[in-house]
Amino acid sequence: MRPPVTPRERSTPEPTPARDGANTPAGGPETASQSSSPSSSESSSPAHEPVTDLSDLPPAWSGRRALAWPGVPLLVALALWAYAVRHTDVSRLDDYGLVSALHPAFWAGLVVLTTGFFLTVRDARRPGAWSAAYVLGLLVMERATQAVLYPTPLYAWAWKHEAVIDHLLTAGGLQTADQVGDMAVYDQWPGFFAAQAALQRLLGVDSTAMYMAWWPLVSSLMLLLPLLLIYRTFTEDRRLIWTAVWLFYVANWVGQDYFSPQSVAYALHVGVLAVVLRRFGRSAVRRGQPRQAVWTVVITVMVVAIVISHQLTPGMLVVCLLALCLSRRYRDWVPVVTTVVIFLAWCLTAALPFLSAAMPDMIRSIGDVGANVETGYGATPTGTGAIMTSWAARLLSGSVLLLAAVGVWRQRVLRHRARPLLLVAAAPLPMFAASSYGSEMIFRVLLFMLPGAAFFAAAALLPKVRTLAADAAAQEAGERQATGPARARRWGTGTWVPLAALLGTTLAFVPAYSGKDRINYFPPQEVALVRQLFDQAPDGSLVVAANRNYPDAYADYWSVDHYWFLDDGRSHVDRIVRKPAATLARDMAGVERPARAYFLLTQGQLANSEMNGQLDRAQLERIQKSVAASPRFRLVAENSAGWLYVLKQSGGAER
Amino acid sequence: MTPQELVVRMLPPFGGWLALAALALPGGSPLRGAAVVLFLAAGPGAAVVRVCAPVLGARPAEGPVERRDPNFARHSDLLERLMLTLFLSVGAVMLVATVLIATHTFSAQRVLLTLTLLTTLTAFCPPLRASPQPRTTPRTPKGSAQ
Repeated sequence: MRPPVTPRERSTPEPTPARDGANTPAGGPETASQSSSPSSSESSSPAHEPVTDLSDLPPAWSGRRALAWPGVPLLVALALWAYAVRHTDVSRLDDYGLVSALHPAFWAGLVVLTTGFFLTVRDARRPGAWSAAYVLGLLVMERATQAVLYPTPLYAWAWKHEAVIDHLLTAGGLQTADQVGDMAVYDQWPGFFAAQAALQRLLGVDSTAMYMAWWPLVSSLMLLLPLLLIYRTFTEDRRLIWTAVWLFYVANWVGQDYFSPQSVAYALHVGVLAVVLRRFGRSAVRRGQPRQAVWTVVITVMVVAIVISHQLTPGMLVVCLLALCLSRRYRDWVPVVTTVVIFLAWCLTAALPFLSAAMPDMIRSIGDVGANVETGYGATPTGTGAIMTSWAARLLSGSVLLLAAVGVWRQRVLRHRARPLLLVAAAPLPMFAASSYGSEMIFRVLLFMLPGAAFFAAAALLPKVRTLAADAAAQEAGERQATGPARARRWGTGTWVPLAALLGTTLAFVPAYSGKDRINYFPPQEVALVRQLFDQAPDGSLVVAANRNYPDAYADYWSVDHYWFLDDGRSHVDRIVRKPAATLARDMAGVERPARAYFLLTQGQLANSEMNGQLDRAQLERIQKSVAASPRFRLVAENSAGWLYVLKQSGGAER
Repeated sequence: MTPQELVVRMLPPFGGWLALAALALPGGSPLRGAAVVLFLAAGPGAAVVRVCAPVLGARPAEGPVERRDPNFARHSDLLERLMLTLFLSVGAVMLVATVLIATHTFSAQRVLLTLTLLTTLTAFCPPLRASPQPRTTPRTPKGSAQ
């Protein structure tokens, strides 16, 4: 029941069937197109039948036991994970972050899980639900471990977003730069924050910090359905679909899954792509079935949600949709025009204040590819741990992109069939020339390339895909392969290499994703110290700190000012290092009663400064000691995570 | 309308009213959280997808060239409906909350009430009807022999 081969496909030269991996499909050209079949019709291969892949081999076990076998490694892996998280101590993280703190059982669990997935997904006899179960197991081990281990949410940025939600709830509406300064940018893209403000109140919790540690798991789960749909548009091969999903998740280390507008906007972006790829193709139109207008309405709702939530994602969506228009199959301008119109409408109304202020810088950065890329690495990893984890991340991304290139080069048929996905993968690359996006463009480009790149990377690990006609030709030629050599190949290069690649990328995810947890984790004592500050700080107060890497750094930002001195010019930082107390006291002068000026130094600031090549621990401790010894400052609070001082004020005015 | 269809039709608005009722439970209660999250993540989208279902499925989606599994397209359509249920719900929550914030009329109860009312309204809408297929004879490609 195969549909007619498209004219384009007919016009393309057929690749020569590979001798060593030749398959002999049971149903000829009408039923088979690939070197091996994932279909249930091939669920058992008698010993005398040709065998071309693991999926064609007879089952080692039969009946229910064989069907349930994948549950064993999955349960073992999850048991090892549960044991590991119970025996992991995160109270003393070193420069390797979670990597060195994790109990060895975690690594063993990850190896068992990956191996179990690999063997399961390649075996056509296993129900597809097992592959799904393994991917869910991977998400639990990848994205829920930190939520279970750490008593407080990670990432200063997540805490910042919590402050924005707090601001919306306090103000009850959107505010301008006159009222909240630079932070007004969040009021101009409020979609995510407004929804979270509603959710916080509806759940009846005091703060989103009560649940935001679980957001990486939630946002990763949101991606599962659109990813599956995209991959299912181009192949029926279950191995390819699930391996691509697996590789997507292990390569997605860039940390945009945390409690942020990007996480939801990205899921919606992938969702729009899934709808466009499935519903805006032209093959059905050619068959005289016009697209229903309701699909345009559906993507409009999703695009509006993206546009009101995040600045960059609509731009990425536009370039992806434009790239799709390059293929004849998807030359439909409705999605891209819809997105551009909605994006422009928002930019020219609600977001105009921010854009008009930022436009000169944005225009200057256009075309400056070197600066846009280089600044992505601007924060120099310092120390063995930071350097190692940084390289693990780069190697992971490089490996997946290399695998994708191999997949594109090797899988000629797939390259043709999934060309739209190739275009979507390449589309974000020109964004390097557009902006540095606050030194993060390189990571964002990688993130938006991943859905397509993971598909072709998975294709590199699987047997060659052949055209329908090639399969038919192979059958007619009576191309057969004996069972013996196939059995001998069962654990040959074709198995070990993909398994090793899958294991390598999966294990590399851990240092790439959580190797900097010493920076990103704030122990409860640090949270308590900062909260003590904001509990007593009157309106108009000033908080001075080394950098913004501490929890609640933006708390009450509409009424409390901040000064992070490492953001200042190098000469001024040197002056602070030379004469800490005197320089800081001068910087903090001018705060008038009843407001106060505080100096806060915490563990998170120390880790961030030290591991990013700014001031080292000795220099920062010298600053702290100088402030402690100065008669101009008074110690307000101190615990194992930091110090809080207040500048003494005399009379009515600060000196 | 069969009892099963009635249940499918009325489940999303029922979820909304249940979530509203759950607000009477103490803050942080798991039951309250489950009712609210389930409705916000699926309720509005499920109502819209039910109304649009005949139109959404009027035309086969793009799919792989190979067609070995007869159920493959059907399963893909099912996954698509699930995805739309989730994303349309999330989109609706973001839009309603943003409109209320922008108009300085925001309160969480208003967000939930608005979504519940919209979902209830949608549940009473009849399913959309797909536009009829045009009766066209297959065109002969240019230059081909007849």
